[in-house]
Amino acid sequence: MIGRFTSYLRRKSDAVNFIPPLAAWSPRAKKLIGALLLCTVFGLTYRSGFRNWVPLGPQRTVETINPKMGVHTRLTDEPDAAKIKRSLEMVREMGAPWIVEYFPWAYYEPRRGQFEWSHPDLVIDHAGRQGLTVIARLGYVPAWARPEDSHHLYLEEENYEAFGRYAVEFVRRYRDKVGYLIIWNEPNLSLEWGFRPVDPASYVKMLKVVYPMVKAAAPEVQVLAGALAPTLDPPGSEWSMNDLDYLQRMYDAGAADYFDILAIHAYGLGFDADEPAGESVINFRRSELLREIMVRNGDGGKTAMITEGGWNDHPRWTRAVRPAERILNTVRAYEIAGAEWPWLENVCLWVFRFPWDQKSYQDYFTFVGVDFEPKAIYLEMQAYAEGRFEAP
Amino acid sequence: MNEEGRREGRDPPQAETADASRQWLVAGSHGSRWTAFSLRSNFERRPLLWIAVCVVALAVGGWLILGAGGPPVDGIWLRMQERGSWRVGMDPSFPPFETLDAEGAPVGYDVDLAREIAAEWGLEAEIVAIGFDSLLDALLVGRVDAVISAFPYNARMTKDVHYSPPYFEAGVRLVVGAGVAYEEVGDLEGGTVAVEWGSRGDAIARRLQREGAGFTRLPFESAEKAIEALVSGASDALLIDGVTLRLAQGDGKPIRAVGAVLDEDPYVIAVSIEAPKLQSALLQALATLKEEGRMGLLEERWFGKTAGSEE
Repeated sequence: MIGRFTSYLRRKSDAVNFIPPLAAWSPRAKKLIGALLLCTVFGLTYRSGFRNWVPLGPQRTVETINPKMGVHTRLTDEPDAAKIKRSLEMVREMGAPWIVEYFPWAYYEPRRGQFEWSHPDLVIDHAGRQGLTVIARLGYVPAWARPEDSHHLYLEEENYEAFGRYAVEFVRRYRDKVGYLIIWNEPNLSLEWGFRPVDPASYVKMLKVVYPMVKAAAPEVQVLAGALAPTLDPPGSEWSMNDLDYLQRMYDAGAADYFDILAIHAYGLGFDADEPAGESVINFRRSELLREIMVRNGDGGKTAMITEGGWNDHPRWTRAVRPAERILNTVRAYEIAGAEWPWLENVCLWVFRFPWDQKSYQDYFTFVGVDFEPKAIYLEMQAYAEGRFEAP
Repeated sequence: MNEEGRREGRDPPQAETADASRQWLVAGSHGSRWTAFSLRSNFERRPLLWIAVCVVALAVGGWLILGAGGPPVDGIWLRMQERGSWRVGMDPSFPPFETLDAEGAPVGYDVDLAREIAAEWGLEAEIVAIGFDSLLDALLVGRVDAVISAFPYNARMTKDVHYSPPYFEAGVRLVVGAGVAYEEVGDLEGGTVAVEWGSRGDAIARRLQREGAGFTRLPFESAEKAIEALVSGASDALLIDGVTLRLAQGDGKPIRAVGAVLDEDPYVIAVSIEAPKLQSALLQALATLKEEGRMGLLEERWFGKTAGSEE
């Protein structure tokens, strides 16, 4: 019975679903379909190529009384061209000529040898048009360059050359627009080193591979190293290595010939900008201790850049300061860089804006809101750059 | 299936039509009548078959409705009942919401709120101290059942986390003296507004000025000095966040908030998106606490009584 029922259903289905051959299309129908196809092709082209585009606008220059002012932008995850442009316009309008921006390797070489530069093109072209000097931070390992299920900051030594090839492709494309590269970020933290024990000698091996490759491709590009997180963890900590110790170990491993400029992270935490440096304290002037290590190792002829730093005014973060203190310290940091530290090229403070609220203390490092609403500190830095800053 | 079988299978149960396309059109335009006739005749010929089909359909439908469509099981709620406790994550570093007393025990508004809610369910509140930035992760991996920690609403997380209605509004408010008639920003034309220099209130004051508000901004180096300026009459109004406002009111300052919140920052309770029973029980408990005035008492216990009435 089941067989007969199945046979019946099949017969019925075939009868209902039978589709007769199509009649020949009339000339009018052909024209209509042709027009629809053209519209589709045009629409898709517009969507992919032009929708996320805004004009660069006229060439601008940054006007400021302190040419060492800078900020770390965070446009990596900002896909909207108009917002990228607005961010960079606001950096210029604040009076900061320098920006640090992150260009993750995994984003722009998602498959070995296949590069996708549309987003960096947007950021770098708009930054240049606003008169900003870009310092490019490179890192973040693509899946193809690390073991399966490993952390995205895990890079084995045999893949340093692959990272170097990414750096080379980057400088080949942008050598006329980007003159500074930071190789890796905070390698003295385990979490930034793929959750392995930190290893200054291995980091120097990375520099020894990447630096010559970059120089061979674009000798004029300046390579920054270090970018160490200020930390006071004791020796043997599984989480990090003291930045002062780490820098000395870099020199011990022969790093001096493999970078041009030292990148420094200078966070003030709860201390004033003028709080004296000390090996057992993390504050803004800890930068001076890193400088002393450079000089002690015969590297005093090089300069340094502060590529992260600043103060936070979150109401509940234990390392934050009050908003007024943040403003005063930020102004003072720019002043110190300009007046006291000739070896320092700029101070790029963390962080200009996030594409979305982090809903954490990180939001209180920013200068403008997600919606581009200028925070008070932004307007005060603008006043400082224009020479009209005055504390109440 | 062979070629013969395919041909046989395509034969309609109706009289065969030589013109296939015409047959298709006929079937398309009179399909319902054809189908009704066919079903009726088949039912009459094979009643047992159709009874069997109906029984199977009823069984499958019943399973779908009663089995898969029943109320989802809330494993988190069940585990809370088994354990006899509600594990609440908080960062005890933000008094008066949460802090540690001299013995290291958690105390504060949020701690008491957690206990009151847990008591509604006949449970104990088990406070788990976690760093503020790890609270959501702790919730998502099931280390805690909820987060109560002066925790801000985050629209981006609503696909992973369920938020309760706000129990405290920490956003920036326009604040005036208790006996003053100002009711909104527009009333301050020609007046002065005190702010803590660099604060969110300061940024809002500057925005309102850019938008044409006719008041003079008076920046002070601290919130306390800005409040003093209002209380002493040196300023007509004040722009300040909800926490600082409530603390000042509890400290006896005769000030009150007027108008709408200018920069919303609601504190909410976060629970798992996969805990429907816990979500509804939480909603009910908060409503009960509010109706019975116990939320107000909790607030008074940790912030003090207000000297002025808030609108």
